Amino acid sequence: MDTATTSPIFDSAFLSKLEQLYLLSRKLFRGEHRAERKSKQLGSSLEFADYRNYSGGDDLRMVDWNIYGRLDRLVVKLFEQEQDLHIDFLIDASASMRWPETSDGSPSKLDAACRIAASLAYIGLANLDRVNLHWFGSSLQGDMGLSRGKSQFHKVLEFLRRVPESPGQTDLRTTCQTFARRIKRRGLVFVLSDLFDPGGYEEALGLLRHNQFELHVVQVLDPSELRPRMTGDLRLVEGESGMAFDVTANESLLRRYHEEIDLFIKDLGAFCLKRGIGYAQASTAIPFEDLVLKVLRDGRIIQ
Amino acid sequence: MTFLAPWAAWFLAGIPVIVLLYLLKVKRRQIPVSTLMFWQRVLQENRQRALFHRLRNLLSLLLHLLIFLLILTALAKPTLDAFLAAGSDTVLIVDTRARMQAVEDDGESRFDRARRLAAPYVSQANRRSQVALIFAGAAADVAVPFTGDVKPLEAALKAASATDATGNLDSAVHLAQTLLSSRKGRHRIVVLTSTPRSDTQPVVYLDSANAAYEPAVSYAFTGTARDNVAITRFSTRPLLNSPQTSEVLLEIRNFGTAPVKGNVELSLDGRRLEIKPFEIEAGGRKLDFFPILPRTERSARGWLKAQLDTADALPLDNTAYALVPTPQPARLLLVTKGNWFLEKLLAADLQLRFELLTPDAFTLPMAEKFDAVLFDNVLPAEFAFGKTAGNFLFFKQTPFTASGPSLEQPILTEIDNQHPLLRLVDLQNLTIVRASPMRLPSEAPEWTFQTPLRAFDEPVLIAGSRRTTTPPGEQRVVALGFDVAESDLPLRIAFPLLISNAVHWLAHESTPLPRSISTGETLALDPGQNVSTEPETDFPAKPGAMARAFFQPSRQGYYRLDPPAPGGANWVAVNMFSEAESDLRATATQVAATTPTAVAMPMMQRPLWQYLAIAALLLSTMEWFLFHRRRTE
Repeated sequence: MDTATTSPIFDSAFLSKLEQLYLLSRKLFRGEHRAERKSKQLGSSLEFADYRNYSGGDDLRMVDWNIYGRLDRLVVKLFEQEQDLHIDFLIDASASMRWPETSDGSPSKLDAACRIAASLAYIGLANLDRVNLHWFGSSLQGDMGLSRGKSQFHKVLEFLRRVPESPGQTDLRTTCQTFARRIKRRGLVFVLSDLFDPGGYEEALGLLRHNQFELHVVQVLDPSELRPRMTGDLRLVEGESGMAFDVTANESLLRRYHEEIDLFIKDLGAFCLKRGIGYAQASTAIPFEDLVLKVLRDGRIIQ
Repeated sequence: MTFLAPWAAWFLAGIPVIVLLYLLKVKRRQIPVSTLMFWQRVLQENRQRALFHRLRNLLSLLLHLLIFLLILTALAKPTLDAFLAAGSDTVLIVDTRARMQAVEDDGESRFDRARRLAAPYVSQANRRSQVALIFAGAAADVAVPFTGDVKPLEAALKAASATDATGNLDSAVHLAQTLLSSRKGRHRIVVLTSTPRSDTQPVVYLDSANAAYEPAVSYAFTGTARDNVAITRFSTRPLLNSPQTSEVLLEIRNFGTAPVKGNVELSLDGRRLEIKPFEIEAGGRKLDFFPILPRTERSARGWLKAQLDTADALPLDNTAYALVPTPQPARLLLVTKGNWFLEKLLAADLQLRFELLTPDAFTLPMAEKFDAVLFDNVLPAEFAFGKTAGNFLFFKQTPFTASGPSLEQPILTEIDNQHPLLRLVDLQNLTIVRASPMRLPSEAPEWTFQTPLRAFDEPVLIAGSRRTTTPPGEQRVVALGFDVAESDLPLRIAFPLLISNAVHWLAHESTPLPRSISTGETLALDPGQNVSTEPETDFPAKPGAMARAFFQPSRQGYYRLDPPAPGGANWVAVNMFSEAESDLRATATQVAATTPTAVAMPMMQRPLWQYLAIAALLLSTMEWFLFHRRRTE
């Protein structure tokens, strides 16, 4: 973590909304999902799973002596092994995510991404999953560390308040490569980014998919970059690279820009659908509750 | 092409400024964006069309330069050389004769059509190609001399109207040649008329020294053959045997190709007198005489008006104006101590209005208020020839009475029956008891005296007159040297005749014959005499109708002479009465072979600079549109 940045996004109003979200999430998960996730592996929990014949080397404590008394056969009782789920959040902290830079209090894309990450992390913690958060830019910038239980939510908030100041330009491929090497335990991975990586997103997302991560992509966008209205002789300055670009914007050019970004979003959606990657588009203009409940559910990120 | 305002070329120095301004970098608005990824993709395609981009920039510059050059060219007022050569110094003759008031089938008058045809020629006027405007009415009138300014020409055309007068186009053509003869360059004369010139003789060009000089006389005809019914004669005259009664002459002609039926309405002083039906075959005429007795009120003007109810191409000649003689009763003052004969006699004459006064109440200034003053055996002490204004009739005591014994029972030896006082008066064997001796005064040289009645050498009746300047006119005096009561004259028929003759002669009661002239005819006026249209007339008063010395009416109607001429009427009736104007059957098509080629309409209705200005405006609009569509930069 490079520097600490105080963000006003996690105020009391936000926390009260999260509490409501928790209640809503409980309602959503009731009867369908348990707080503890079953695993396909057999283990030492109290939940009976099956019987099997005794073989040499088995723990004699697991032999069901009642069956031996009735059937004169040695069988061993098998129990389910309960495992907690690892949930990782990759949050894009590049300069493009800090846009729009307005002074009227309207949230930036990064604010929206942090709120979404906090919400999802809260749900994960509440379900006793192991939650970890990572900043990334040109590569992975640092993580929060695994946390479990609602009591650890303050760590999440604290982590999200400390946004790295110079994360560099977005490099999804390097980020995902580093993440796959570093995280051995497979689990859920949420990528929260605008995915504005000139190097492309396909290889990076494919790499995580290839490494058996269950992947969800939340693309955070602002309406002003979806439908820009400015015309005239302009000098466009990119926040990430500081590169300037002179254009004479007219209706025709804007129309072609709209077509280009619509094509980008459409391709991303098709890419995720084809590979079983959960995809949702989050707009900074959408209210928080709608964003979490409607958009993420529409994207099959939560159920 | 010739530029009439070449000074505009100085503005060409502005072209480098435009190019320089164009080359200056545009200060762009700085906009932060999240990513340039998509902009780069979009503009990558544009960059692939870099050639088009450069061409677009070039197009923008060229558009600006083209607009600038168009404005400069418009400022320089270009004129096509072909037009300059053909139209340098044009004289435009617009026919304003009465025939131009005729209305064509489409409802447009011939004059309006001529004015419309003249507009393109007028609009082409400029410094190098000047235009003069002549209106050909009763006489040729230079409305606007040679000028390159379009405004006065257009104003004159707009203010002009067809007159009621007749005239000849030849004088206008010759006037145009006179105007052109002193000018250099090529000339032309354009005549806008409804019908061609009456004669087929070629125009004699004035500049015979220059063989190449042939000002083309072009005719533009604005009329077609039309049927018309017109009043061609309308006049009155008093009957010889009854001067109080007038005889009216009315002639109606049918200048058409079909018989025509209609009515003519006669009105006197605005009151309808009679409606007479008429029926005239094609090309025929109807002549009518009928008597009319005018009213004798003092307000009577004697305006006799004839109005046809036919609807034809020229309404102007459907109305005619005439004047009926309207004798006015004379105002008399009888100064007497009592004379039964005279009082009864004057009261019996409807043409007289008299007032009675005793000698004591009379003062000489009263005489000016009456047409004549009768003194019965009374002579004002202060009366003197030449110093007392008014007309006077004396009985017995006269200014001519001389001292000496009275004439006892004089015998009338000389009776001048030709004298106005003795017209139809029979004084044979008149018995007079006593008469006063009278002598003609020697101290009144400006007076002219006559003695139509004498008894040997003694005058019994004296008539005198003299010309006066203030007011202009004639002063008259009559003296009868005996008392009518001392004769048998009151018992004779001669008595009322003598008194009536004397009174009417004194009151200048010779009924003036009404005057009637044609439109365009010149009327000589007396010094100090004015002519004006009457406000109550039903035709528009023509501005400038007031005139002195000479008056030439261009409109039909009644005109008042103020003051009236001595012995003349104070009203003048003005009519057109012109067969040439009323006969609308002669058209250009009938004589096309003998007339020059008709004028072709100029191709361009407006000066060239106006088209250039419109083009510059359109290009500016296009540039504005393209700029806002970001097609140009």
